[in-house]
Formats: sequence, C-alpha cells, structure tokens
Amino acid sequence: MKTKKKIFQKFEFKPPKEFETPFQIPNPPKPSSSTGTLKMTAAVPPLTGRELSNPPSDGISNLRFSNHSDNLLVSSWDKIVRLYDASENVLRGEFTHGGAVLDCCFHDDNSGFSASADNTVRRLVFNQQREDILGRHDAPVRCIEYSYGTGQVISGSWDKTLKCWDPRGASSQERTLVGTYTQPERVYSLSLVGNRVVVATAGRHVNVYDLRNMSQPEQRRESSLKYQTRCVQCYPNGTGYALSSVEGRVAMEFFDLTEAGQSKKYAFKCHRKSEAGRDIVYPVNTIAFHPVYGTFATGGCDGFVNVWDGNNKKRLYQYSKYPTSIAALSFSRDGRLLAVASSYTYEEGDKPHEPDAIFVRSVNEVEVKPKPKVYPNPAT
Amino acid sequence: MSTPSKDSLSQVETTCGSLLYELKIIWDEVGEGDAERDKMLLELERECLEVYRRKVDLANKCRAQLRHAIADSEAELAAICSAMGERPVHIRQSDQTPRRSLKAELRAILPELEEMKKRKSDRRNQFLEVLEQIQKIEKEINATSSNIVLDETDLSLRKLEELHTKLQTLQREKSDRLKQVLEHLNSLNSLCLVLGMDFKQTVHEVHPSLSETEATKSISNDTILRLASAIEGLLEVKIQRMQRIQDLATSLIELWNLMDTPVEEQQMFQSVTCKIAASEQEITEPNMLSLEFINYVEAEVSRLETLKSSKMKELVFKKRSELEDICRKTHILPESDTSLEVAIEAIESGAVDAGSLLEQIEILIGKVKEEAFSRKEILEKVEKWMGACEEECWLEEYNRDDNRYNAGRGAHLTLKRAEKARALVNKLPGLVEALAVKTITWENERGVEFTYDGVRLLTMLEDYKILRQQKEEERKRQRDQKKLQGQLMAEQEALFGSKPSPIKPQSAKKGGRLSMGGVSNRRLSLGGAHATPKSDVHSTRAAATPNTRPAKKLDRQLSNKDDGFGSQLTGRRGLETAGNKKHNPNELEPTFRKPFSPISSKVKVTETDMKHEMLQKTFQTNTSPFITPSKPKPTTTEEENRIPQKNIIPILAFTPCAQMQTTMTPVKTMVHEEEVVIEYSFEERRAGFVLPRSHLKTMV
Repeated sequence: MKTKKKIFQKFEFKPPKEFETPFQIPNPPKPSSSTGTLKMTAAVPPLTGRELSNPPSDGISNLRFSNHSDNLLVSSWDKIVRLYDASENVLRGEFTHGGAVLDCCFHDDNSGFSASADNTVRRLVFNQQREDILGRHDAPVRCIEYSYGTGQVISGSWDKTLKCWDPRGASSQERTLVGTYTQPERVYSLSLVGNRVVVATAGRHVNVYDLRNMSQPEQRRESSLKYQTRCVQCYPNGTGYALSSVEGRVAMEFFDLTEAGQSKKYAFKCHRKSEAGRDIVYPVNTIAFHPVYGTFATGGCDGFVNVWDGNNKKRLYQYSKYPTSIAALSFSRDGRLLAVASSYTYEEGDKPHEPDAIFVRSVNEVEVKPKPKVYPNPAT
Repeated sequence: MSTPSKDSLSQVETTCGSLLYELKIIWDEVGEGDAERDKMLLELERECLEVYRRKVDLANKCRAQLRHAIADSEAELAAICSAMGERPVHIRQSDQTPRRSLKAELRAILPELEEMKKRKSDRRNQFLEVLEQIQKIEKEINATSSNIVLDETDLSLRKLEELHTKLQTLQREKSDRLKQVLEHLNSLNSLCLVLGMDFKQTVHEVHPSLSETEATKSISNDTILRLASAIEGLLEVKIQRMQRIQDLATSLIELWNLMDTPVEEQQMFQSVTCKIAASEQEITEPNMLSLEFINYVEAEVSRLETLKSSKMKELVFKKRSELEDICRKTHILPESDTSLEVAIEAIESGAVDAGSLLEQIEILIGKVKEEAFSRKEILEKVEKWMGACEEECWLEEYNRDDNRYNAGRGAHLTLKRAEKARALVNKLPGLVEALAVKTITWENERGVEFTYDGVRLLTMLEDYKILRQQKEEERKRQRDQKKLQGQLMAEQEALFGSKPSPIKPQSAKKGGRLSMGGVSNRRLSLGGAHATPKSDVHSTRAAATPNTRPAKKLDRQLSNKDDGFGSQLTGRRGLETAGNKKHNPNELEPTFRKPFSPISSKVKVTETDMKHEMLQKTFQTNTSPFITPSKPKPTTTEEENRIPQKNIIPILAFTPCAQMQTTMTPVKTMVHEEEVVIEYSFEERRAGFVLPRSHLKTMV
C-alpha cells in the first residue's frame, strides 16, 4: 500500500484555475461478474450507522468526539449536555443548563465546556457531575472552542464579542476572563487551528485572529459566498478554512494572502436537488475534517452527508439520506468513526419533524481516502 | 550327669542296670513277692517300649517331611524351568548317583531353586518391561489400551523374542506414523502459510498436542484422519482461492491492457499475474492466497474498474464534444442531440454500456464528417457572405457616424476599410445569388434542405434579399427625410441662428446598445456557439434557479431595451436574417427556443416590430462567443460567486434556498426597521433572539 500512494502521484495534476469547479462525482463501482463468485458476504451494517440510545429530546446543536477516547459530547436545545461512550453506546452523564445549549467542546476526558443560550459559558466536570460557570456574555453564546496551545477557552456570542477565558482561575470571574474582543457582527461560527482562530459572523464577515495577539484581527475578510455563513472549519493542516453558507455552497479559503496563495481558493455547490428543472438549495450546516486524510464531510438540511476531497476537487462519497437535516458531524480521533447528528435545524421555523437522533457509523477507508484524479488525458 | 554323649547309652544302660539292682535291693528289703516283681518289671518293659515306639514315629515323620520338602522343591524347580523354557537341571539325579541322605539332597536342591527363582524374576522383569513398552505404544496408536496381562507360565526366551519383535513392529509403526504426522504438519504449514492462516491455531484445533513443540505429538488414527481432513479442507479452500485470484488476475490484466497501466503499478501485482496459469502446487508464496491479499487485489480490480468506467465516460464525453465541435464548425444542428444527452445519463446510471455508446457516437461522427465534407464548399461561401454582411453592417454604422472624417488616430485605416467594404457590399448581391444557385444544386443533388444552424440557408438568403430591398427603400425614405430636415433646419437657422447638435441622438443609441449585454435570443445570433447542448445546460439551470436576481436583471433589460428601441428606430442595414418573423416564424420558433431564457420569446410576442434591431444588436455584441465558443456564459457563474452588492441584504433574511420558496411554510420574521432588514440565523430565530435597538442603530 505504501508504494501505491507513490505511484498515484503520477496522476495528480494542477487543478484548473476556475473559481467555480464542479466536483467530479464518481459512480459507485459496479460489482464485477468475474469476482462475484467467491465474494465474501459480510454482515451488512445498517446504512445509517448505529443509532445511539437515549438521544437528546430536542434539537442537537453540536456534537464532538474526544481527542483521547471514543467519548462523544452532545449539546442540545433541551438544555442538556450529554456525554456518551460511542463505542459502548452508553450514556455516561448529563448536565442540565439554564437554557438551550448551543455548543460544547472537550477539555480533556474529564472535563468540557459548553455555550448556552442563558448567556453563560460553563465548565463541565464529568466524573463529579459538576458544572461551574466560567463567565457570561451579554447575549446567548453561540459557539465555544478550547485551545490546547494556550489553554484558553474561546467563546463567541450574539453580543458581537469574542471572549477568551482561562479555566484554571475558576474561583472568580474577573480572573477567568482573559479578554473581550468586539466583532463586527453576531458571531455565528468559530474554528481553531494551531494559534489561528477564524471567526465567522453575521453580515458575512470573517475575522482571522492569532491567539498570541488578540488585540486586533490578523486578517479581516468578507465571505466569498453571497449568503449567510453557516459554518466555518479550519483545515487540519492549518493552511486555510472551509466556509459554508445557507445557500448550498462551500468556499475553500487560504490564509496565505499572496496572489499565489489566493489563487488556490475556490467555491463549490453542494446539497442541492434538481427537481423539475428547478434547483432546490439547502443550507450546509456543518463541516468536519477527517483527522488523518484531510478530506472533509459536509452535512446539509437535505439530510445528506457528503465526503469531499478538497485537493482533488472531487466528491468521494455520499452516505444514504438521514431522516432529517444534518445538524452536526464529528470524526473520532483516529477517523474510524463518524458521529452524525440528524436533527431538524429549524430552517423552516417551527414545524413537525423527525425525532432527533445521533448515528455513529464506522468509516471505511474508501469513503474518506483521497483518490487521485482519474486519467486527466485519456489515451486514444 | 555331665558325661559325654558318646557314652550316654552305655551310661543309661549302666544306670538301668544299677537302677534294677537298686530296685531288687529295695524289693528284697521290702520283701516284695515275685509276682509283684514280675508285674512291675513287665510294666516297666511296656513303658520302655512305648517310649521307643514314639521316638521311632517321630523320626519317621521327620523323614517324610524331608522327603516332601525335597519333592516340593524339585517340583517348583521343574515348574520354573518349564516356564523359562529350559531343561530342568535336576532330574532324578538320585537315580543315577548313589543315594545321598535326604538332608543332603535338600541342601543340594535349595540353592538351585533359589538361583532359578532369581532368574525367573529377572526374566519376568524383562517381560514386564517389554510389555509395558508395547502397551504404551499401542495406547499411543489406538488411543485405547488393551491391558495385556503377563502370562507367568510362559516366560520362555522365545516368547520374549516374540514380544520383542512385536515391540519392534510397533515401534516402526510408531515412527512411520510420526513421520506421517510430520509430513501432514508440513503440508498443513505450507498451506496455512499460503492461505495466510495461523498454523498453530489450525493444528491446535486438530489436536492440542500437535501445536506444542516440546510435547510428544499425538499419532493416533483419529489424529491422522483429522489431519488429513484438515489438509483436504485447506486444499479445497486453496483451490477455490486460487481460482478466485486467477480470475482477479485475468481481469487485472485485461484492465491493464485496456488502460495502458504503467509498469510500476503493474509490478505490485506481478506476484498475482505471474500465477495466472499456475497449478495448485505451484502457488507456495506465503500469504499469496490470504484473505487480505485477495481483498487487496479485489480492491485494485474494483479501483481499476471504476477508473475504466470513468475513463470510458470521459471518452464518451470527449467523442461527444468532438461531434459537437464538428457540428458547430459546419453549422449542422446535431440531430440526435437530446438522445445523446439521455445516453450520457444512462451511462452514469449504469444502464447502458459505455462501449456501445462510444461506437454509436463514432458512427455519428463519421456521418457528420461526411456531410461536412459535402457542405464545405457552400459553407465557405456562406462564411464569405457573412463576412461581407458584417462589413456591410460596419459600413452602415460608419456612414452614420457624423464625425467619421475627423482626423484621429487610425482614421486612415478606417477610411481604407470603408473603401474595401464598399467594394465588397457592391459585390454582395452577386455573392448571394451565386450562393443560392450553389445551394439549390446541392439540395437537388441530395434531396435534403441545406440548413445552417437549423435554418434553411435558402430562406436565410431570401430573407436577406428582402431585407436588403426594404433597407434600400428605407434609405431612400431617410434620404428624403433628411432632405426635409435639412430644409427645416435651414428654416430654423433662419429663425434662431444655430443648428442643433447632431450628436445627441447618438448618445442615446450607444447607451441602448451597451445594456444589451449577453442576453436575449442568442439562438438567432449567427454565432451558433450556443446551440450546443453544453451551453444549454448552463443557461437552463441559471434561468431556472428561482432567485430573484434573474428577474431583476430581466426587468432592467426590458427597460433598457425600450431605451434602445427608442433611439434605434431608423432602418439600418444589416443581417436581419434568421429572426425575421414576417417570413419564417415557424421555422425558428419551436423547440430550440425553450432551453434559453424565456425573455426572448416574450419580447417576440410583445414587441415584434422592434425585433430586427434587437437581433442585429445581439449579433454585434456576441461576436466574441462566436469566436471562442467553449466558454459558455462566463457572466452567470462569475456573478454567482462574486462579492455581492448592497441590495443583497434584504434577500438574506429569507435564506434564499429554493426550498423555502417551494414549500409553503411562511418565514415569519422579517424585521422592518426603517427599511433595513436584519438577517438572522436559524438558531437566532429559534431562540427568538432579536437585536436590541442600540445594535440596530450601529448597523444602520
């Protein structure tokens, strides 16, 4: 297998420099007749993956795998953060909040953080079933991240600020709050890679910060997409970020501001459905990068999870449709598991919808491993 | 009484005599009678006799015992000898030799007996040892032990020999079996190696003792049988897998050949393909037939197959675009356009074999090429004609330019061009005539109409001729009008003393033309580039996206058009050929129009009179797509990804996914605050989050 990769490089070529690149969508391989005779018939797992028991009773706002185990932290509109052991399918703990929980993240396997609509940022200690309030915003807190590099918690809120917290100085709030950084608009999404923080807000603003110098943004950008930003997620290799909008589109951006660096950026359409000659466009709610291969999965309100290879501009895989919108996605630390939150995201207001569910599916290498471009110059 | 025993008898005798004498003295003294004395003596005599007899009996008994002991010993000795299969050492020696006393005899025989007994026990031990070994081996072989009991009566050397030979045969059998087991194990090992199975595990399942290196291996019938069956089972698996991998190898080679896979990539599967015709025995490489390896090869095959299918698809696309290209170059309308579209879709869904489709396209290409060849001559003429028409157009424009004689940069070139154009225009009627004649002969020859981008060429020519006539008339009228205007102006001049600037109407005209952009009916522009299905797809999709943007654009265009018409009423000479509704509306209206924006058709119905002008303009503005047809409508895509303008903001509140327009759910919040609408995310709407006023102010 090692040698294989080397050979594949032969097929790689520079992608065309069009801004809008249609992804190549391969057909599922047909079963060949010659190999069919002895095919091992493995037990077919359910197409959607294993559903976790005891799911949240209301909309799932986010879910994340731990960096150290297969524990899964899930925040929900039912005001509860739940801790699951995904491989054992066991609910390990529940933390009730004062309001809907809009985001959560792990600190380590013993504790995590949550962002709540009751304006609080909280620290959750799992084995003691305890929760401390780290601090407050002036409006609901939309998103939260923990930086292992600086040991800080970063929260973004609809009060148009970003706040950094030091969870170690837990005793008084004055000491925990490290800084408050005003944003041009309400913060909608946050992503961290290395020392970089990418903040996406309403009004399509995107600010890129360096955690070591938060006094002002390193870069102030406007989203390349015309419509409201739904999610931003940094590449695991730290060279840029992917940004999705409510209008079925994902932009691939790069931090490098040189002309060469910026020439690599592009956007593509996804999570659309053509019906009777009209395009139905769905919001792209979530982006999750594979920790090993750097490919990424997107989830949309169409209930589909697509896996993309950003470098080769190809769609690698589409999982079968989930009952309702995909609210959140997370790969486990080794990329073998993918947690999928199938939960109505309120895109059409209050209406009857499918029950909220979390599916944990095991990921095949084929589904996420980048494939080289197929024969750019077909012979003959 | 301590006399030596030798004399004891005589002493007894003497004492008897003395005692008798003493008795006689006593009797004498007592005066016993003779009778009494005799009686006493008799009694004495009898008592003595009794004692004697008793002693003799005793001695007799002792002798008998002795004899018995000797006989017993002799018998035992004989028994032992016979058991040992030896001649008895001591047979009636007493017969030949002078008789010895019994005690001596016994003394002689006893050590002999002892000796024999010892020998017997030795022999017995030997037997026991052999028997034990036999029993052990039998137990190993049969797993059951037939308990052999030692027969004490036969301990002869022959028997021992027999037992020894038996033991030897058993030992030989044992070693044979051991060898067999080892052989089996060896073959099992090699099989396991090839199949990528755990040898120890497999062997352990057969018999636990086999998997241990130190312990003695089980060699029972059962074990051997099970070993054999295990080998057979594995062999069967091996053959199955071998066939499988050979199948895979065959498809691999086929795919390689088909796709000219580079050698380095092939090298990795050399081990597979070199065994393509190997028999079962020849496959010995470890893990050659392991499940992982087979899966690995299988994955490669399926990868290649996907490659192949995508490559085939690409080929089909390429061929198709080649066909389109030829069609476009020769201005033939690809007849089976839609069917091809369908076919491509069919390939994608896997319903149709790409190969056959490829063939079909190939045939089509051949046909089209042939047709193109026959059309070449006429097409060249058409090209010339078109060029001439263009020049004519330009000339007309140029003529209208009142500043044309102003000396500027390149003015002399323009002048030269005008001169040439005039000459060309003069030749135009002849050109058209010749073209018509040629076309008619072509049509007669073939019995089909000569079409140019789906429009019959003759009709085009005819239209052109008529138009030219009209133009001529109009020009005449214009001239008259100009004359009239001249008069009027002269009058005005007389009145006010100045002439109105001639530039004014022109500025309006220019604005009108620019606004036309890349819209309206491209089909009718002579470009032809957009008749290809490729651009069809794009334009339909763009038109179908239910965004508000296209509508807006449309509005603007319509209004602009009005402007354009206002200024452009005057009859201009030009190529108002294909779209002329008066002459051939039927030929152009149907089907082709549909994929394109509905704008044009609407325009057609409502503002028929203006159309000529429109068409002409599109023709002029669209010359660039005519030259590079491969870039379909770059404007649409670019615009979609461009950074938006200010007027986007109100749309955002609706989150413009089409879904929301189709489904009826009303989106309630659209906060109107001094004409400003704030966008809210789904979460904000759900949480009922509303921006406080102060924030609003800052936003405004």
